[in-house]
Amino acid sequence: MNRSALTMERLFWWGPGILFALILLVAPLLFTDFYLSQVITKALWLGIAAASLIFLAAYVGMVSLGQVALYGIAGFTMANLVEADGGSPIAWNPWLATGVGILAAVGAGLFIGAIASRSYGIYFLMITLAVGVLTFYFFAQVTQLSGFGGVNNVTRPGIVSNPVTDPQNLFYIALGVSAVVFLFVRYLARTPFGLALQGVRDDPSRMRALGYNVPLLRMLAFGLGALIASFAGIISVWWNTRISPGSIDLSRTIDVLVIAVIGGLYRLEGAWVGAFVFAALDNWTRGLDIVGQRFNTVIGAIFLAIVLLSPGGLMGIWQTIVDFFGRQLSGGPPARPTGAAGEAQHATDSPQPS
Amino acid sequence: MSEAASAAAPDWRSRLVAVPAGTLALRAAVTVVVAFVAVWVAYKAYGDPRTFVIVGLNGLTLAGLYFVVASGFTLIFGLMRVVNMAHGSLYMLAGFFALELQTTLTGGEATSAFGSSQAGLGDWIIPLVVACLAVGLIGLVMQQLFLRWNQGQELRQALITIAIGIIIADQTLAHFGGIAESLAAPDAFPESVHLPFSDLTYPFFRIFVLLVAVAVGLALWAMIQRTRFGMIVRAGVDDRQMVSALGINIQLVFASAFFLGAMLAGLGGVLGGTMISVDKANDTQYLLISLIVVIIGGMGSLAGAALGALALGLVDSFGDVYLPAGYTNYSILLIFGLLVLVLAVRPLGLFGRPA
Amino acid sequence: MRGTTEGRRARLWALLAVLVLVIGATVAACGGDDDGGDGEATPTTDTGGGTDGEATGEPIKIGVFANNEGAFAPFEGQTWGGAMLPLINRGATPVSGDPTDGVENATIAGHPIEIVYGGSDSTPDKAVEEARRLVEQEQVDILVGPLSGSEGIAVANYSKEQPGVTFVNGISGAQDTTLKVRSPNFFRFHNDGTQWTAGLGDYAYNELGWRNVVTIGDDYDFPYSQIAGFVAEFCSLGGNVTERLWPPLGEEDYSSYITQIPEDVDGFFMGVGGTGTVAFVKQYGQLRGNLADKIMGGIFMTDPVILEELGDQVVGVVTAGMTAGDSQEPAYLEYTSQIESAYPELAGTGSSVFFYGYYTAMEAIAQALEQVEGDLSDDHTALNDALANLELDAPLGTIRLDENRQAIMDNFLQQIVEDQTGDGVPDVQTLKTIPEVDQTFAGAFSPETPSPDRTNPPCEKGTPPPWTEQGGGG
Repeated sequence: MNRSALTMERLFWWGPGILFALILLVAPLLFTDFYLSQVITKALWLGIAAASLIFLAAYVGMVSLGQVALYGIAGFTMANLVEADGGSPIAWNPWLATGVGILAAVGAGLFIGAIASRSYGIYFLMITLAVGVLTFYFFAQVTQLSGFGGVNNVTRPGIVSNPVTDPQNLFYIALGVSAVVFLFVRYLARTPFGLALQGVRDDPSRMRALGYNVPLLRMLAFGLGALIASFAGIISVWWNTRISPGSIDLSRTIDVLVIAVIGGLYRLEGAWVGAFVFAALDNWTRGLDIVGQRFNTVIGAIFLAIVLLSPGGLMGIWQTIVDFFGRQLSGGPPARPTGAAGEAQHATDSPQPS
Repeated sequence: MSEAASAAAPDWRSRLVAVPAGTLALRAAVTVVVAFVAVWVAYKAYGDPRTFVIVGLNGLTLAGLYFVVASGFTLIFGLMRVVNMAHGSLYMLAGFFALELQTTLTGGEATSAFGSSQAGLGDWIIPLVVACLAVGLIGLVMQQLFLRWNQGQELRQALITIAIGIIIADQTLAHFGGIAESLAAPDAFPESVHLPFSDLTYPFFRIFVLLVAVAVGLALWAMIQRTRFGMIVRAGVDDRQMVSALGINIQLVFASAFFLGAMLAGLGGVLGGTMISVDKANDTQYLLISLIVVIIGGMGSLAGAALGALALGLVDSFGDVYLPAGYTNYSILLIFGLLVLVLAVRPLGLFGRPA
Repeated sequence: MRGTTEGRRARLWALLAVLVLVIGATVAACGGDDDGGDGEATPTTDTGGGTDGEATGEPIKIGVFANNEGAFAPFEGQTWGGAMLPLINRGATPVSGDPTDGVENATIAGHPIEIVYGGSDSTPDKAVEEARRLVEQEQVDILVGPLSGSEGIAVANYSKEQPGVTFVNGISGAQDTTLKVRSPNFFRFHNDGTQWTAGLGDYAYNELGWRNVVTIGDDYDFPYSQIAGFVAEFCSLGGNVTERLWPPLGEEDYSSYITQIPEDVDGFFMGVGGTGTVAFVKQYGQLRGNLADKIMGGIFMTDPVILEELGDQVVGVVTAGMTAGDSQEPAYLEYTSQIESAYPELAGTGSSVFFYGYYTAMEAIAQALEQVEGDLSDDHTALNDALANLELDAPLGTIRLDENRQAIMDNFLQQIVEDQTGDGVPDVQTLKTIPEVDQTFAGAFSPETPSPDRTNPPCEKGTPPPWTEQGGGG
């Protein structure tokens, strides 16, 4: 096997990503405050939310539409526990409230995971969707915790400061959390626990035969997904300075799904790729007269196109390009690298949606 | 009791031991909860029988509407294993189509004066039929264009139907506006009827919806159990490849079933639009309702859909009224509780079967 | 067929580099300009509007946004019609028959006016996103909007972050937006939802003789405000609110809630919102019978679009609001004929609160700008002062602002009567004008009292507002 070709292929694959990350590091110098806050930071936390979905889909085989509801639980819990307009009158320290919010979301995730742990595939999808919409209705109707108007003016920890006048702080926090989530999931995939999850994804009955407690594994995985989602929720509340049921309604759930699919449902990087495309497109089309109000139709059409033509999303397209160059480089179809070295390969072995 | 005897005949004690403790605890908990709810409702009913009757009827009639909508959803899933996420959008679209048509037919009179309705029987039936056919056709086109060629890829199909649902919802909003309106029931229908053995009155149209739901249920059952088409559907549910290997045009069956399922969504849309209202929030609402009914009842089961609709309708109505005052806005938790309860003992729904 | 490996690699690297550069350039271009990098976003000082003082002819950018999605989307035309009318009266020409397309050649006090379009979906999140886009990306000097109650509170909070921009409310009617938030550059030139019920409590208690009332309203801000006004007035006179029912928002099956209304109550006040009004009236008619003798309605009952839906079912119902469609005052008649000539398709909607609210907002802006000759210097100090002290002669009466920049204006007690104009739709007849209603309802509401919600304000006897019989009005 041509080693330099393999290195080249890896570089091709990661090159733009690294470049992109470098650009992001100095983004405050390159973009206006508005763009930094409204598009880039938004894309970062949406990416984290999508990452929780992709983690569950790609590594555990559980496509969940309840991630937005879970991050809503984190966000609403935190917002209610600090000083704010609306919601409960409790006023705790913002960091404490953040911790409790995350715990609440993880707890809910474990509970829902337990209920749905014996359901698979499309059935599981439906249950998570129902739970997601029910959560929305809950916060819309229980005015003691939110009501339609939501919780406004949520107190943020000092370091977050004011997202309108000082967006860099929150930007770097979001960037940092995104990086941590990304690296953590990739690390997890190689641990025994992560490998067990992937085993559950590939063949649950065989795993059961091997003695693994499959429902427990799935429940724990769902809890982990909830943890990631809760980060997105907390950051979204800091970003918005408020949270209302409209922040977690069905269209937001579908937005996150669209982001994941556009980016690439079985590749973790796809979360942020999809999020950036989505946020930039949203911002761009608002200014266009023709499209203006019909952004939903546009994004729905793009989503449909991706699902029909390239189920691997944008990352799938990128993979095809990389493969093509890889073949050109080594002068012929390359033998697929095997073993643990093939992280990129792992992502290539995308399980067929079924 | 001799050892031989107890070994030979498994009695209730050994059966109890055979069940894992966890499941036992779960079943016990569920039984306790159900018993508690039954006692609570009985107590409230005894205190105020009039309210109980009215609210009970509310629940039953709602259940009827839910059943009509969910039956289409479960039919499509049971046969083709397609989760039609656009089902709610189809419901909403049918309502708006019917509204437009009725407004045109009656020159705008009927929909604006439902205290004194001026809609003839035709002014309601024609929009009903046209809306159902239109929505059925849209469903059929959707199936032929987007779903026919990726059989078996359930997730992909779900994503496709979600995308189509988004587009339909957005376009409906663009063309029909967002304010809630109501279809006018025909003049021939009385506004209210007197309930026998009491001085209570109840809206006639709601009872009509319940009757339609029962009729639809019976018709579907008869079709599935007694007709050749139904036989093929049942066979197709069990073993698709064998059916097509036998030379039966399975694609035609699928197309017809999808058409029927979409039409049922349309029927629900027109009925709901007359009974309650036509509103742009309907797509989310009725998708959720279809999901819950089918999760409770089991995918692909008509009886399950009926039971699930009944459960949901009754919990919905009684929850609004029988929760302690000041907590009525937590009624959504009851629905969630219902889901949890069912899934705890029957992960596939009451009548669900593994894929 | 294959070139040298080196050449091939070089080409591929080049291709990759080009690809990355192209993507990077696109992203950066869409991202907006390099602002010299330490985060000092300056939304207003680098636009026109006379930063250096009296630069006449400098364009002024006004952003207008209502709802283009959601339950209130059908009213977008009316809101824009209202917003554009003052400009048209000053010489602008509508781009088309659709008001949302804006106007051309708009000038105020010699300054060209550029109108920027925005839209939200009645949720606070989207409203703030849109406000931020208009203020920070489009760099408007003045922002008119938003539309719905919850949006108003959120945008008013946001306005505190942008002292260099003037915000004038569209038609969002929650009380807190001015009473609690009190942003120094946020102005509301119309009554809030609570003020819109002024006169109803008085009528119920004194004219109809009601003593026990049940209220029913959707479980969110706006019905809270409406019912709060009624409760404050009715209870201050000695009336009693026996129960308050709150169907969850989005719930359209009111039958279970109607069943809970005791049959022996004197009457009830209906604060159900736009989408629910239709369903509620219909279902009540089916379960209990005619509404008219037992019900009193909030603002939505008299909206022309809703009235068309409700029909004869509601003839006789008494309601109140800030507009009177049957006014015969010359100023009002002139106003309606202006609407007809500017936007013929909107003829007859002059009394819609959506139209009127945005109209008064833009008219106030125009008059204030004329007063200060377009001076936007120093974070709009002169303009904001002018707005705060403006006495606006509006078609339905004079409007002035209190110390929280909230309007004090007349309210109109009205009754729905049988169709007299022959269009098949019941008409609205004004029974009485309630003069100069202020936000506090004679002290019942203040920045310290709890915000209206499911249980606030409590039903207590207190100081009757000045417009009631017991308070000295008539």
